[in-house]
Amino acid sequence: MPRLGELERSVMNVLWDASASLTVRDVLDALGERDLAYTTVMTVLDRLGTKQMVRRERDGRAFRYAPVLNRDEATSELLHAALDEAGTDRTAALVHFARTVDPAEARALRAALDEIESRTSE
Amino acid sequence: MTPLLLGLIGLALAAPVPALLARASWPARSPTTGVILWQSLALAAVLAISGAALSTALWLVTHDLTWWRIVLHVAIMGIGVLVWARFWWAAWHVWHETTRRRERHRELVDLLGEQHGALPAVRILAEQTPVAYCIPRRRDARVVISQGTLDALDEDALQAVLEHERAHVRTRHDLVLEAFGVLHRAFPRPLRTDAPLRQSQVLVELMADDAARKVAGDGALARAIVALAGGVTPAGALGAGSDAMVRLDRLRDAPRRQVWPGALSLTISVIVLIGPTVLLAVPWILHAWQTLTS
Repeated sequence: MPRLGELERSVMNVLWDASASLTVRDVLDALGERDLAYTTVMTVLDRLGTKQMVRRERDGRAFRYAPVLNRDEATSELLHAALDEAGTDRTAALVHFARTVDPAEARALRAALDEIESRTSE
Repeated sequence: MTPLLLGLIGLALAAPVPALLARASWPARSPTTGVILWQSLALAAVLAISGAALSTALWLVTHDLTWWRIVLHVAIMGIGVLVWARFWWAAWHVWHETTRRRERHRELVDLLGEQHGALPAVRILAEQTPVAYCIPRRRDARVVISQGTLDALDEDALQAVLEHERAHVRTRHDLVLEAFGVLHRAFPRPLRTDAPLRQSQVLVELMADDAARKVAGDGALARAIVALAGGVTPAGALGAGSDAMVRLDRLRDAPRRQVWPGALSLTISVIVLIGPTVLLAVPWILHAWQTLTS
């Protein structure tokens, strides 16, 4: 089911936009998709739970769901991992296209670029 | 003689040879064979040092058996087993740690990033900081770029970035880096240099660049490197050390079709791998075996 990933994203956005924890029904209503089954939303919430993105709390006979990290916290964790790997990470979990350099090196890079551009435009 | 010679070869391959080779520029002219060369050196170092230990241990018990020779034999074999255990432990650790972090990162990217058609799946982060990287994986790898990257690049340069990252994912460059990461951790600190890991990181970038320039052209790739490396520097990220200049230098030199750097890399690879093993270890082990069985 390729849709499941996209659905996880939508569900997460609903939870992030909500001010309080939500029930499955709340999420289903907020998604506003007519042909979406209750059980599908439940599955998606379960999956997000095993990924430790969503926390489940009991409320009477129902469960309520809330994000473990709010949107800003999640973004910050993501960017931190993406940017902070320069020196400390030796295991190369992510492979970067290029890393930022200091101003002197940046000038040298631009000079080299001019040379390449003039050559390729000939 | 054999144990001593193997030991010397092993030590030479572990530190001074990599340090010398790291200063040479010719391996980078043919990145793929360059990676093979570094892998061969590393493997040869491991083989030679293991061979030295093993032949010492065998030598001790092929002559007259005194109690101290047996004790020493057992001690060397024991240390050997410990070193191997340490190696595999490091391997497992690196693999496990990397997989875990990638998994978490991919989940966050999927939840926060906007989908973008094209395979492997591209995700776009709504961030102004220009970033472009890939999360390698056997299946479901991700290429991640930020809005800032999209804004900083023209269409051709963006294509160069995407092709570069796809090449990383397609050819599993992460496996090369992980292998050197494992070796780096497994080697005792005084015996190792940063060279193999550093050099393989550069070579892997050059390999991906080669794929990108074929599709997008030298100019577009150079523009992309400069735009992403020479852009706004986030505080605290200064002097992180980059391969950007090496990569641009390679693009600056008009493409030279030279066979010798690749051929030289492969020749040295074969020599270091086969040389010590065949010339020294095999005759010695055969001899030791004959002495033991006769």
